[in-house]
Amino acid sequence: MTPGPVLLEGRHVTQRFRLPNGQVLEALRDVSLSVCEHEVVALVGPSGCGKSTLLRLFAGLARPAEGTVEYRGRPLDGVLGAAAMVFQSFALLPWFTVTENVAMGLEARGVDGAVRRDAVARAINLVGLDGFEQAYPKELSGGMKQRVGFARALAVAPEILLMDEPFGALDPLTAENLRSQVVDLWRDQSTGVNTLVVVTHSVEEAVFLAGRIVVFGSHPGHVREVLVNPIPYPRQERTPEFEAMVDRLHAVLTATLLPEPAPAAPQRLIPFPRVHVSEVTGLLDHLLTRPDGKGHVFELAEDLGVDYDRMTAVVRGAEQLGWVTTPGEIVQLTLAGREVMAMADSARKDAARARLKKHPLFGRIIAMLTENEGAVEDEEVLADITIYFPFIPAESLFQTIVEWGRYAELLDHDAAAERLMLAEAVEGTSDVRAD
Amino acid sequence: MKPLRLPPVLTAPGIRRLGLADVAILCLLGGAIAALVAFAREFEAPFRQAVQIDLRPSALPRYTLYSLARGVIALAISYLFALGFGWAAAKSRAAERVLLPMLDILQSIPVLGFLPGLVLGLMSLFPTRNIGLELAAILMIFTAQAWNLALSFYNSLKTLPDALRDACKVAGWRASRTFWQLEVPAAAQGLVWNGMLSMAGGWFFLMVNEAFRLGDRDFRLPGVGSYMSVALDQGNVPAMALAMLAMVAMIVSVDQLVWRPLVVWVEKFRLDETSGGEGGAPTSWVLEFLRHARLPRRAALLQRRAYRTARRAARPFERPLAIAGPVILRGPRFALGHPVARWVGGALLALGVALAAALGAWQIWLLLRHLGARDWGALLGSAALTFGRVMGAVILSTAWALPAGVLIGRSPRIARLLQPVIQVVASFPAPMLFPLVVLAFQRAGVGLGLGAVALMVLAGQWYILFNVISAVAAIPEQLKDAANAFQLPRLARWRSLYLPAAFPALVTGWVTAAGGAWNGSIVAEYIEAGGTLRTTPGLGSLISDATARANFPLLAGGIVLMSLIVVGWNRFVWRALAGWAQTRFGMAQ
Repeated sequence: MTPGPVLLEGRHVTQRFRLPNGQVLEALRDVSLSVCEHEVVALVGPSGCGKSTLLRLFAGLARPAEGTVEYRGRPLDGVLGAAAMVFQSFALLPWFTVTENVAMGLEARGVDGAVRRDAVARAINLVGLDGFEQAYPKELSGGMKQRVGFARALAVAPEILLMDEPFGALDPLTAENLRSQVVDLWRDQSTGVNTLVVVTHSVEEAVFLAGRIVVFGSHPGHVREVLVNPIPYPRQERTPEFEAMVDRLHAVLTATLLPEPAPAAPQRLIPFPRVHVSEVTGLLDHLLTRPDGKGHVFELAEDLGVDYDRMTAVVRGAEQLGWVTTPGEIVQLTLAGREVMAMADSARKDAARARLKKHPLFGRIIAMLTENEGAVEDEEVLADITIYFPFIPAESLFQTIVEWGRYAELLDHDAAAERLMLAEAVEGTSDVRAD
Repeated sequence: MKPLRLPPVLTAPGIRRLGLADVAILCLLGGAIAALVAFAREFEAPFRQAVQIDLRPSALPRYTLYSLARGVIALAISYLFALGFGWAAAKSRAAERVLLPMLDILQSIPVLGFLPGLVLGLMSLFPTRNIGLELAAILMIFTAQAWNLALSFYNSLKTLPDALRDACKVAGWRASRTFWQLEVPAAAQGLVWNGMLSMAGGWFFLMVNEAFRLGDRDFRLPGVGSYMSVALDQGNVPAMALAMLAMVAMIVSVDQLVWRPLVVWVEKFRLDETSGGEGGAPTSWVLEFLRHARLPRRAALLQRRAYRTARRAARPFERPLAIAGPVILRGPRFALGHPVARWVGGALLALGVALAAALGAWQIWLLLRHLGARDWGALLGSAALTFGRVMGAVILSTAWALPAGVLIGRSPRIARLLQPVIQVVASFPAPMLFPLVVLAFQRAGVGLGLGAVALMVLAGQWYILFNVISAVAAIPEQLKDAANAFQLPRLARWRSLYLPAAFPALVTGWVTAAGGAWNGSIVAEYIEAGGTLRTTPGLGSLISDATARANFPLLAGGIVLMSLIVVGWNRFVWRALAGWAQTRFGMAQ
């Protein structure tokens, strides 16, 4: 099917949220994207890149702070009637039966009586849930629940089907099965669905489903690149062209997620990724088992059973500590990394401490603490972080700092008094500000 | 061991930071007191002979039903209030900023103090009938029922998953449909459990609501509460016993016929799917019976058919409305959407509230001006006495309810056995027992000064017990396993597991128990038993005495002082304690 005229279009869309702690977070900045008839568009990118936000804007569930969203050239006013939505958490009403859940959208569209019964029966039949009409969601498995979610969306015969990580909460087997059924449903003219927009975390899923893959970057969310995927449907996962497309997408994502460090600004403050100590050492451990201590970032993600988003965060953490380097998509254990893994626990902590002291962000916080006799209120640190990293939720970055600071015995935190302190070992050491 | 379903731990009232909104609300409240008093003075109602209470046992069922009807009507009003209030507070950030502090304050002030003004005001509106008195009684019950319901509904709305809301929006549901089919069902569990607590709380002041004296006037409504108070006046012991029996019978039947079935039925509306599974969920023989019966099902079918017919009949009217609606709403929508209009509207609203608050403060000042230095001295002195008693009551209640709660809560078997019993006992209005307790104390040679503390224990202890049971029962099984695996000695087990786990809930229990004790002081320090009046100095007796002597400035002063103490203590002491307990001992990780 060739893409037709433009159905949905976001023009220069910017969206902001206020976090409970008062911080205003920009989720999307100046995003322009159009979706055409007979098209499948996948939105991929790291978490917090605003792809789900854009999907909600397309559905008319929220209004953009700036810019417009148009359907067939007319600005959206309220929820888009031509679209239906499938949610990662299924979003079924527990007190409704399968039939009642599937019928949710029909009444408001003026479908009544026998026509409604037919539409519900047809939708239930399409997703293969016959026999479960009177069941309640809690009696169904995850995969079957999501089938109800699809049936509910299909029952209204929507022009556009918006899907927010629809297979994210399912086990891999169920997800694969449901995924190919979605493609069948889309290709089947009788369902009325002719356009799909899917938010996904999985590279394979994006390549399997989409004709166009939009890669988002984060902090704040923006469109990095748009890939056209010309593989004809139905697609087979193990073909060379499929693999080639996956590799291309990997390359684009790596460039987004693991950008080459800018050489001009070595002292620029960079946020430390939200990763745990054990994740970084786990990665190094795994790299040690590989020939030459290196691996492709997406292979590593697969081996370790985490998604690429998480994997790249861990890699960035290890990179900031100087324990790996990332030439392109390759993650390479450095000499320092090998040394660290050969050390005993306490020596490893010392090595981490030496590295973190040189890290611009930790260095700044240590300097701040030293100036204030070794202790600062949480609020002050949070305010400082917010100024430097307005696009990152400050609370979670703060927690990461505390965790790493504690691990390296650099920092200590009093949760009751809400104060961040220098750990006793570092107090009075002169090399803190020397670097 | 089957898992046990227990009521959720109560939400703590008054653990919010003191803000400008609080000041405004306190002032408004002062205005309300002053207005009520002024109203009552303006329209002196003609003196009417009080209803004669018939002490024959045959009259008792009728009286009990009267009392029950008042409780039920009040509960219905409370539910309506809770739905409206919770919805407004959850939907509008501006409303939230005003409504939540208001809720906190309203649920922590001594509502009983408002009774005289309320009665006089309403009596003067309906001078020839008992309607005014009835309305006042129902309103008083309402004030004991409504707040936790509203808070529960608000909390459910706030914790509703976004995806469910989105799903309803995408389905094109109107706000009203989302309300009845998503928001109310999702809140149903909390609403039913809290309704149960509210009903019990509503009985607390039954006796005072149905029979009280103001100056030389005697206000009386037919009911089991007034039956009891007449029996007490006459020292008629068999009648007293009968009244208590009737009360217990009513509480048990309402529990079995209404609350049990409801609790079982709302299991259907759980949002999380951690269902109790086999046998863990509560059961109800009444619901089983209804489910097996034919008639209710027939009725439901008929009702559904009738509803459909009505909808079909209404359809011709819906269309013009659907067309006209957006046109009519265009103006307001524009006005609300426009930033300048919004700003002006907001400013006008804030100004209105500020003016009303200023007026309230002025009015209460006019009333309080009549109080001399000696009055204030008396007020402060008695406040100190009552404060001491309240704290004593909290300590005494904790001394027995904490260990008992831990013992009950850690054993699902004991909890299952005792839970229904405790629920009924806790629903029994403690003030009914006050005169008997006082007589018993008198025989033992203890005066009311100390005796009142025991009475206030009766008024507040259950909150502590319930909260501790719930918290201990909610300790993760693995933590208990760990304690067993490491063979923790008994003392260490209490010190390192049960007490810390119960502590946050205990603090919540203290907040509520202290509130109950303050409220209880009004009836505990001023008791008529066996035809004689016993009082002991304290803020509660001062309020009661001012009521009896129709000394309005002193009454207003007493209420204002008690409100300030309770709200201030909540905001500064309990709040700090609750925050510390949560960060230090909270189970959430």
